[in-house]
Amino acid sequence: MSRRAMAGALIASTAMLSAAPVRAADDPAVLKDLTAVIALQGQPCGQVLTATKQGDNDYVVACKDGSRYRVFVNAEGRVVVQKQ
Amino acid sequence: MTLGNSAGALVVSVLLLLGQASDKTPTSPRPTDEPTTPVEPPGPSGSAPPAKPSVSHESGTPPGRTATGRLAQRESVPQQASQPPKASAPPAESEPRPETAPAAETAPRRETTTRPETAPPIEAPPPTAPPAAPLDLGSLEKRLRETEAIGAFTKLSLKNQVDDLLADFREYHKSHDRSMLTRLRQAYDLLLMKVLSLLQDNDPALARDIASSREALWRILTDPDKFKNL
Repeated sequence: MSRRAMAGALIASTAMLSAAPVRAADDPAVLKDLTAVIALQGQPCGQVLTATKQGDNDYVVACKDGSRYRVFVNAEGRVVVQKQ
Repeated sequence: MTLGNSAGALVVSVLLLLGQASDKTPTSPRPTDEPTTPVEPPGPSGSAPPAKPSVSHESGTPPGRTATGRLAQRESVPQQASQPPKASAPPAESEPRPETAPAAETAPRRETTTRPETAPPIEAPPPTAPPAAPLDLGSLEKRLRETEAIGAFTKLSLKNQVDDLLADFREYHKSHDRSMLTRLRQAYDLLLMKVLSLLQDNDPALARDIASSREALWRILTDPDKFKNL
């Protein structure tokens, strides 16, 4: 394999790895967890359909009722549900 | 003996007979004014009714004894009233009296003192409170941490809410403001309901144990000493 091809593969894999956190978290357990969190905070949602991971313990979710929230853990260790 | 003397004796004996006759009749709680000996059978029945209201069972006993008997009778009157009327009870009580007065007196006294003891149905109603569930806070906490019925985010969110509630309780124990307690109870019930709703489908055993510990947990939270040791 040439040096150029190896560099290309490295770039591609790096791009894929870096893009992974941005991809939707489709794990049903995570969706259910986020649904429960939003409900616990008393926000209307119904059910979380998709969740996009922004970082550690940081998601943007889309609800069945059309609303969108950012769900994250702040510096004090509190779960925050922020309407988008 | 003169005619006057014999007439006097006759009058006295008639009075005695009247007294004894009225002594055999049952009963009014009021004591007699004149102590009479209840040995003889009832005298002329025509004269008994006027003496009835003012003469009690204990009329044959000395004044001091009548006092105790009166007390005993007073104690027993409400119980007799609550029971079906015992028509035969007063004659039965009065029967042994003529023979031996002290024995006859102790018998009703025993009866009246034992009656309150035989009335435990009033004192000891059937226990309505359910038996206190054994509370193991450490175990419950561990099970809550480890259960897979609640996701990590949700657990963290619940922990935040538990911390908030504990802070409110800390404030309550500082201020001793009883009006806060209603609000705290509502918040406590709501939080517990959230936990139970999260657990009931996937970890029903833990949900059941937490639900049965509800009141014990509340007692810990509201007790200042126990709360300090949390």
